[in-house]
Amino acid sequence: MEANQNVRSPLEDQIYIWRIRLEIWWQNFRNFVKALSVHPLALMGGILVIIYLLSAVFADQITVHNPIQGNLRIRHTPPVWENGGSWEYPLGTDSQGRDLFTRIVYGARISLSVGILSVGISVIVGILLGTLAGYFGGRFDSIVSRLADLLLAFPFLIFAIGVMAFLGPGFTNLILALTFKGWVEFFRLVRGEMLAEKTKEYVEAARVTGQGHVAIMLKEILPNIIQSVFVLGTLRMGYMIITEASLSFLGLGLPPNIPAWGSMVAAGRDSLLVAWWVSTLPGLAILFLVMAINLFGEGLRDILDPRLKLEG
Amino acid sequence: MNSNTPLLEVNKINSVFPSGDKIVRAVNDVSFTLNEGEILGIVGESGCGKSTLLLSLLRLIRYPGKVESGEIRFRGNDLLQMSNSQMRAMRGKEIAMIFQDPLSTLNPAFTVGEQIRESLRLHNIVGNSNAPWPFDRVQREQEKRRVLQIMEEVGIPSPMDRYASYPHQFSGGMQQRTLIAIALACNPKLLLADEPTTALDVTIQAQIMNLMKQINQDRGTAIILVTHDLGLAAEFCDRIAVMYAGRIVEQGTVDEIVETPQHPYTQGLLNCRPRIGERQKTIRPIEGNVPSLANLPNSCAFASRCSFVKDACNEGPIPLFLTEPGHLNRCLLTSDYKRLPEWDWDSLVEQERAQ
Amino acid sequence: MRGIKILERVLGTIPIMFGVAIIVFFFIRLTPGDPVDIMMGGGGAISSGELENLREEFHLNEPLHIQLWYFIRDAAKGDLGYSYVLKQPVTSLIGDRLPATIELAVGALLFSLIVAFPIGVISAVKQNSWLDRISMSTAFLGISMPGFWLGIILILLFSVRLHWLPVQGRITLGTGLEQRTGYFVLDSILTGNMEALKSSLLHLVLPSVTLGAPVAAVIARVLRSSMLETLRSDYVTLARSKGVAEWWVVIKHALRNAMIPTVTVVGLQVGILLGGNMVIETVFGWPGLGRMVVKAIFDRDFPLIQGAVMIYAFTFVMANLIVDVMYTYLNPRIRLQ
Repeated sequence: MEANQNVRSPLEDQIYIWRIRLEIWWQNFRNFVKALSVHPLALMGGILVIIYLLSAVFADQITVHNPIQGNLRIRHTPPVWENGGSWEYPLGTDSQGRDLFTRIVYGARISLSVGILSVGISVIVGILLGTLAGYFGGRFDSIVSRLADLLLAFPFLIFAIGVMAFLGPGFTNLILALTFKGWVEFFRLVRGEMLAEKTKEYVEAARVTGQGHVAIMLKEILPNIIQSVFVLGTLRMGYMIITEASLSFLGLGLPPNIPAWGSMVAAGRDSLLVAWWVSTLPGLAILFLVMAINLFGEGLRDILDPRLKLEG
Repeated sequence: MNSNTPLLEVNKINSVFPSGDKIVRAVNDVSFTLNEGEILGIVGESGCGKSTLLLSLLRLIRYPGKVESGEIRFRGNDLLQMSNSQMRAMRGKEIAMIFQDPLSTLNPAFTVGEQIRESLRLHNIVGNSNAPWPFDRVQREQEKRRVLQIMEEVGIPSPMDRYASYPHQFSGGMQQRTLIAIALACNPKLLLADEPTTALDVTIQAQIMNLMKQINQDRGTAIILVTHDLGLAAEFCDRIAVMYAGRIVEQGTVDEIVETPQHPYTQGLLNCRPRIGERQKTIRPIEGNVPSLANLPNSCAFASRCSFVKDACNEGPIPLFLTEPGHLNRCLLTSDYKRLPEWDWDSLVEQERAQ
Repeated sequence: MRGIKILERVLGTIPIMFGVAIIVFFFIRLTPGDPVDIMMGGGGAISSGELENLREEFHLNEPLHIQLWYFIRDAAKGDLGYSYVLKQPVTSLIGDRLPATIELAVGALLFSLIVAFPIGVISAVKQNSWLDRISMSTAFLGISMPGFWLGIILILLFSVRLHWLPVQGRITLGTGLEQRTGYFVLDSILTGNMEALKSSLLHLVLPSVTLGAPVAAVIARVLRSSMLETLRSDYVTLARSKGVAEWWVVIKHALRNAMIPTVTVVGLQVGILLGGNMVIETVFGWPGLGRMVVKAIFDRDFPLIQGAVMIYAFTFVMANLIVDVMYTYLNPRIRLQ
């Protein structure tokens, strides 16, 4: 033992505290990964999602053809495993002669960015409002809760369609339409948890030691709630992506040029009899992505927060 | 029906549950008899298998658990050999059961009266019509009257008003009375009571126990009372069997067990209780913990906690010794006495005695 | 006593409908551009003189809350505005197409309930059996699938390849159905037109299945989950100890309690039905409200869109009301507070 053990500088203390925290986080992370590996399906889901993500980011690198401009002479080429297909256009071409594989990969960008952004913003707004409403209560709580209940009176897709109808197509409008109603679920979750945690003893203890409200909310309560929010967010992302695809399908999402899976499926309907792959394959891409997200999300839920199980 | 034939003869039953790759032996080679109108207490701590024992008697052990071997002779017939429909005819009618936590045991979606009436209808006590609703009005009326009678008998005040109440509207004591009413509806010969008063207040406990005593005297219903409270068993029962880690370690009349307990575990249990009127000795708890039921040793399961333990205790299965007529003890301390004939493990014990 | 509670809930929906109207009112204000233009939609060009008249008519010169009042008052009277694109009052336009949508929604709901309940119950009773695993995997697929894609796949399979079921529309022309109520199935029964009955039912199959599939998936999962819980409960053990037969234990004792949380979920799923309705009608060319709205969006027929959104929201609120009442009925603890 050093002689001046009890004369540590505040800086050393801080470093020490953070080292401990880092070690705890690392341990938690390792436990988490270990738990996840027991759920092989969840792991597969997670890996698939990562593959999608990487494809979207590196779309330029992995595709050769132009996703927007097509060559009418090669329209309706079948996929490689059918008669007349070739490896140059492995998934075939659509009615404008555009390579389907390329379009699908670029489409991933849209779906993933819409999914992540809309869920992300919904989560942030939900946490913000939910924390404030749950913690402080009062008029603010009543007003926001009323608003939330009101928004819940609208079916999700109807609401999104309504907003898109009046705002017009566009990326920001799309995100807006999805987040406008999306935050409600997270708001309710956070508010509920906040109400439950508020009365627990560790909050009392923190207040007694003179911590301010904001500090309590951030440092004490939020870490306990974050997990459920994260799980719910993952579970909801699939639904957001499907909603986005439905909107694109109806022609309400983005300008028609931009390759979005939903609009691809819609466009392929006319040539359904001669070129089934134009509609089917983009839909398959949606299916696999959403399945992967859901698998991962459900695995997450089983590990972290089985209480959320009863919400379909 | 010979009045000398015991009502219930349980012969070496084993109930097991597979758990992972181990087997949990919840009930391990248990045997006892019960005569008509007798009250038997099964005493032991939580997890010793006494609840499982009761469930085994009614064959309510769910897959993948099962009663592996043995006989359960009720009025001469082996319950384990019966078909499912025969068994169902037994349940509720000849043998009935009441459970520990009445609120969770009563179905929250149905009225109290309806739940009692169901027992009557299941076993066609009041009438025999199999007509579906709404053609069975007459029978339903008759059944309802009978239910009101029973409700009064178990002490539920103003049965007429209470018939259409839901379980959550009742207090704990009344809920338990409802359970008893359900059990008694078909006038069973045997009532299995799994810690019926543990979840209740002390005053209510006394009321319920009195009620059960009354039923035993008025109707001649035999009762098997499972409890962790040796004092309760001592007040209420005619005979007591002490269970530890799935086995019966001592069995005898109330007086024998309470006045002259022979198994170290029983003695420990009696020492644990503070007694009014005596100069307070220090309460001596029993050291150690119950072994996991998945890892039972073949020898004495109590050996690690026993103050009288000898080497021989850990070397093989301990038989039940007959110390007095009807008083059985599973402990080598009493190896002086006569042994029940089925064991042939002489040599080690003889060696012991020679030392 | 129970009647009063129901009345309470019904009255409770009124403020919500108010709020819905307010929100929908503001929807239209989202659109950039001249309000008169917007109200007319793509309906036509007008002279500047008429512009002033129209402004008066649409109450656009008055303060916002007065406009809101007019809007709500008219809506309560049943007047949802006028479509300049289609040159008809919105209410009658919606009224014309509503039966088709309702038929589809009812078909989908029936399908999902009929499929989901047995599967949910049996999967729970025979947990981890092959039936359970297959059902739950299929259900998982069902919640991950985009509805429009399922519809297209089913069309490809059953109409195009197998020719078992019709591709589009509600009924084959030439069956000469005389319309009384607007509900084709009902009408064909009423007029004794067997051809029409068969045709309308066949046309209902694929759209109902497509619309109902994700709903069925969710209900099956939730039901299974609740059943697993109830089957483990003490009162089920008690029922068995009374001598109740196993199947009766499942249906009477367990299911009754498992339905309580399930019912709430069903209510929420109606929302999915209503939303998906638009998409499915488009896929199958079903001449209902949804398809009309989609077309209205492209025609920029805003009054029509507004009216339709209100109707959808209203239906959802009603459905949830019904679910609420059912929940109170099923759960004695809530009923008797």
